[in-house]
Amino acid sequence: MFENKDKALASIKVGETVVVSEVKACPPDLLRRLVAMGLVAGSKLTVTQRGLFGSPINVKLFGSILSLRSTEASLVQVHPV
Amino acid sequence: MGSREALEVVRPKVVALVGNPNCGKTTLFNALTGSSYKIANYPGVTVEKKEGVLTLDDSSEITLYDLPGTYSLQGSSVDEQIVTDILAGKIRSSGKPDLVVAVVDGTNLERNLFLVSELIDAEIPILLAVNMMDSAERAGLKIYNELLAKTLDIAIVPIVAKANKGLSELKMQIQESLALPRVSRCKNEWLPSTSDLTEKNDDGTPDPLTIAAMGSLRYDWIKGIVSRCTTSSQMPERASYEALDRLLTSKLFGLPIMIGLFAFIFQAIFMWAQLPMEMISFSVDTLSSFVRSTLPAGVLTSLLSEGIIPGVGNVIVFVPQIAILFLFLGILEDCGYLSRAAFLLDNFMRRVGLQGRSFIPLLSSFACAVPGILSTRSIPSRSDRLATIMIAPLMSCSARLPVYAVLIAAFIPNTFVGGFLSLKGLVLLSMYLLGIVAACAIAWILKKAFLWREQSFYVMEMPPLRLPVARVVLRGVYDSILSFLKNATTIILACSIVIWFLASYPKPDADFKGNAVQASFAGQLGMLLEPVIKPLGFNWEIGFAIIASFPAREVFVTGLSTVYNVGDDSEDQQGIISYLKEKNSDGTFTTLTALSLMVFYVFSCQCMSTLAVCKRETGSWAWTVGMFTYMTLLAYLASLTVYQVGSRFL
Repeated sequence: MFENKDKALASIKVGETVVVSEVKACPPDLLRRLVAMGLVAGSKLTVTQRGLFGSPINVKLFGSILSLRSTEASLVQVHPV
Repeated sequence: MGSREALEVVRPKVVALVGNPNCGKTTLFNALTGSSYKIANYPGVTVEKKEGVLTLDDSSEITLYDLPGTYSLQGSSVDEQIVTDILAGKIRSSGKPDLVVAVVDGTNLERNLFLVSELIDAEIPILLAVNMMDSAERAGLKIYNELLAKTLDIAIVPIVAKANKGLSELKMQIQESLALPRVSRCKNEWLPSTSDLTEKNDDGTPDPLTIAAMGSLRYDWIKGIVSRCTTSSQMPERASYEALDRLLTSKLFGLPIMIGLFAFIFQAIFMWAQLPMEMISFSVDTLSSFVRSTLPAGVLTSLLSEGIIPGVGNVIVFVPQIAILFLFLGILEDCGYLSRAAFLLDNFMRRVGLQGRSFIPLLSSFACAVPGILSTRSIPSRSDRLATIMIAPLMSCSARLPVYAVLIAAFIPNTFVGGFLSLKGLVLLSMYLLGIVAACAIAWILKKAFLWREQSFYVMEMPPLRLPVARVVLRGVYDSILSFLKNATTIILACSIVIWFLASYPKPDADFKGNAVQASFAGQLGMLLEPVIKPLGFNWEIGFAIIASFPAREVFVTGLSTVYNVGDDSEDQQGIISYLKEKNSDGTFTTLTALSLMVFYVFSCQCMSTLAVCKRETGSWAWTVGMFTYMTLLAYLASLTVYQVGSRFL
């Protein structure tokens, strides 16, 4: 339908709700943690807060809030709901 | 119920509580075991092992483990690996649990069921305790427990751990599940039967694409189950805490609020504790002179009144300050503020080579570096963990507080800056800040010089803000005071006796003039050290107290009191503070020396337990020796600078 509408989670503004398309390849320890926390294709999340200079970035995912750095958030590709 | 008379010895059944961090697992553990639990460490690693006794309705007793919080059986942190190993029965001393109670947060079923589905795959007999049912209901979430139990093929008990609800049902279910252990038939149900996914490439290395794909499949399965077994009516969430959360983490107000909060805590430590401290100090002095006046003069009386009573007493005096510090730390942790502080500080921490997660271990290190270093085990990145361990002892711990407190009380005038900020509090705060600044520099150097090759990441859950639970906070304060007192009555008692001996023997010859301590072993040790420490502004008495306090910093006060009091034939045992005030006015112990000494104690590694725990946690002598060396060097150079620069200008 749409070509490549994917953006990095790191570029999403506070208040926006998006869906994860994929998580880019990264070291296994980090990837396993992202996956266990629910950052997998199909998960819906809302950006709730960003720190100074845009990092860390907090997202609401399922019932809880997850805090990640912009470096980790740039591994997560997302698309609009 | 005649089973108690039965003579056969049966190994008590072992039940383990497993769950995500912040799922209320520990609250449940405390509620189930009362206060009867004991804390130990797992062999080889210093992951805290919490073990208690749970009495079931048939009066049989089982052993209950509270395992560390984990998100997955494949986690990379030391904490998470311990859970995996215990469940696999790989830790011999613990025994494989007969049953696992998986505690899940009812308000966040999806994420919590991820671990549960891994437990099912591992064919571990489990039952599910769905916690925080009250919060789930308030959020408009209805969980159909029978349906969920049937779908997952495991028993489910809804509970509210903090209100003790559902606990008797849970106990009954534990008893039932132990009698008839069975595993769920849902093993690998999430994996399409046609799939041949494995996490490994042909060469045995993990393949990122499959890890992500399998995670996605597992979550799809979970999301399907949750949407079938729950209904959620959109209810307005309680806005009050969300607004507060936004304020506490806001770009504009977050940091100022945090700094204000910690400044307030440091003021409180000094001001609120004053009265109880004076009372304890007075009682110690009274007891000491009472012993001296009632018992016949002799070695024993001298040991009691000049060694043991003031030695242990001078340390017990700091219980009020430690209680206040732990009270505030406990409140901040329990209400979820500490994670907000980690969020606020990550930017800064990242720049010096650490991360937001290093914040909690470092903050605990203000109380004591040992639990601080232990809590680094939840940092999943090894390089961040090592860097955090290495700088944790630079945070001014509660054992330094006695040193600062005595010196500040004796040498810093009781004035107020700007009319309301106590100068004493400010000096104390600057000692803490000095340690923090040095810690940042050291971390940065470590990362640049030794740890640059290793990856670092920060992915952390923010627990919701909530009102702190008095029971939990007070229990924490109680535990830490108890362990401090245990320390005071063992290590410090032993040190007091050794110090007293060193300061009392050998007795000077009859024609010896001057301070009798000078002739003793203590005096000789101090004299030996004097040339080295003279440029720091220290005399031989201080030198002795520094050596004496090598095993534990707080012994410094005892050492100094002993060295100053033992030789004095004055009729009253003087409080060390008023004695130092006198020394200050006659110029033999100046304010500059006191400052130099405080700076020395900010940096020096005078703590055996820290070194021991560093060795255990890093598993390396190199890091341990490195810690001691860099801290001692830093202490010497910093003190030298303070004294030399200070004496030029003052």
